[in-house]
Amino acid sequence: MMKQSFGFRIVIWLGVALLLLWSLGPIYWTLASSVTPTADFSARPIHFFPQHFTLDHFERLLGINVDRIGGVQVWAQFRAALFNSIVAALAATVLCVAVSALGGYAFTRLNFPGRKALFYAVVATLAVPGYAVLIPLYRIMTGTHMVDTFLGITLIYVSAYLPLTLWLMRSVFEQLPVSLEEAAQIDGAGRLYIFFRIVLPLVGPGLTAAAILTFLGAWGQYLVPLVFSPTQTKPLTVLIPEFATKNFIDYGLITAAGSIAIVVPALVVIFLNRYLVTGLLAGSVK
Amino acid sequence: MTAVALAATEPKRRAAGNGDAVLGVLLVTPIILTMFALVFFPLGQTVWDSLHRINPMQAGTPFIGVTNYTKMLSDADLGHAWVNTLIYVAAAVVLETVFGVLAAALVNQVRVGRQWLLAAVILPWALPAVVNAVIWLWIYQPGAGLLNGLLTSVGLPFENHVWFNERTSAIAAVLVVHVWRMMPLTVVIVLAAMQTIPEHLYEAARIDGATRPQMFFSITLPLVRSAIAVAVTNATVAAFNLFDEAVVVNSSSLDTRPVVVQIYLETFQNLHFSYGMALSLVLTVISILVSAVFVVRLYNSTRLE
Repeated sequence: MMKQSFGFRIVIWLGVALLLLWSLGPIYWTLASSVTPTADFSARPIHFFPQHFTLDHFERLLGINVDRIGGVQVWAQFRAALFNSIVAALAATVLCVAVSALGGYAFTRLNFPGRKALFYAVVATLAVPGYAVLIPLYRIMTGTHMVDTFLGITLIYVSAYLPLTLWLMRSVFEQLPVSLEEAAQIDGAGRLYIFFRIVLPLVGPGLTAAAILTFLGAWGQYLVPLVFSPTQTKPLTVLIPEFATKNFIDYGLITAAGSIAIVVPALVVIFLNRYLVTGLLAGSVK
Repeated sequence: MTAVALAATEPKRRAAGNGDAVLGVLLVTPIILTMFALVFFPLGQTVWDSLHRINPMQAGTPFIGVTNYTKMLSDADLGHAWVNTLIYVAAAVVLETVFGVLAAALVNQVRVGRQWLLAAVILPWALPAVVNAVIWLWIYQPGAGLLNGLLTSVGLPFENHVWFNERTSAIAAVLVVHVWRMMPLTVVIVLAAMQTIPEHLYEAARIDGATRPQMFFSITLPLVRSAIAVAVTNATVAAFNLFDEAVVVNSSSLDTRPVVVQIYLETFQNLHFSYGMALSLVLTVISILVSAVFVVRLYNSTRLE
């Protein structure tokens, strides 16, 4: 590494400060507002740091000591939406990773007719945005009574993230040396035994990357659940904007809900960042 | 010895090859079923239906040829939405690329705690887009918002300024939310390319007396140009698909409405199903074409230097 002069280091640190302010400033402001009493929102000039601390917004959001806000059982809606978000995102992640791990292995190691064509056909759908299939999909889902069911939304997420995770998993399997599997084969091990006992334990990081991308993607979807999960399975992403657009605009509630929706992705980014970056790179360098 | 072993395993392998084919088809069956039922078939139907009149309010679904497509040319609201979308695409691509490359170069110079800095930079991308939008909606609030608070604190008369009263600032407001969310992707892609540049290139340049800006422009930038092309493609497609930020920040106001919101309104509000489908196909094709053009042009322009 080159030596960095003092002046150069000052420039770097200024840049870093600016970058952190840009990236984390808005998040700080949301977290700070979520613990600020509603009365303090009307202070002018505004305070950049909370003057009083309160958990009032979280209590109202989670229904602790408060039942209704403006005649609405907000906490019941919020808990249901949180539950729905977790269920749909987890189900999509598990299914997507399982299907793409098995399929990715088949696409790399097992020879069957039409293998290449099928793989590229699936991966090519990465270029097809969701709205291009939204309307026929809506008719299919209505016809099969899967609108507003976990099965319906999960299948749609799987079809949306499968091309990406399949691409990722195939590149992971391709990097494994074939010799290991060949040795096992000569010893008489079956393909599935090899896959589950030898290959799968080696691709943990790849599976993690695929899982993170699917989970974050499904957790953050808005347009798809807006159409396919309108009431019974409504996730947080559909509920939170309603706080901001319905008759009562309650910024304490909105920032508290936002803070809770931030927690899960933040944990992923902090603790699984390495895998996330690997996945992003594999997914974007087409 | 090896020859004998090979000869002995040969028939066994062929038998395994057949079994492999069966197993292979079995393992990809879930993929085939899901993708055909939920992507290929609906996509084909979108193409087919866009040539018909499909509207739940009108009986029958007659074939109407390209009428849905020609109708677009005289659709004033759609024209407005296209202008908005093209502004979003152009501005988002330029901002994300320029600042994304600068941010990547910056992170690349940091030695202590680089992965923490990177985690902080990635965080906005990892959040749900609607949560990003809500975060910024609160920042843009006229009275208690952070933006007006900051401007007021440096003595500017912005205390009750409404950012969505005027088109330019409304578009800028939506754009900032989008760039905040998508720039991390550019940083990650470009930073990865920067980390593969061998250190000795910089050493050699330093011995030749090159300054840091010279090194950046003559070593770093040319060597990450294919990564930049990839990042530009991603940024382009993401900006064409902008929906969540615009809807949450400024609802479906014509001032900030992008084409995807127009598709949503035509389909689910006006119930012009087949018109919405024709629109979504046009948008898809244009977004793919434009990102391809960006890649080719960028590749050509950097290659000549």
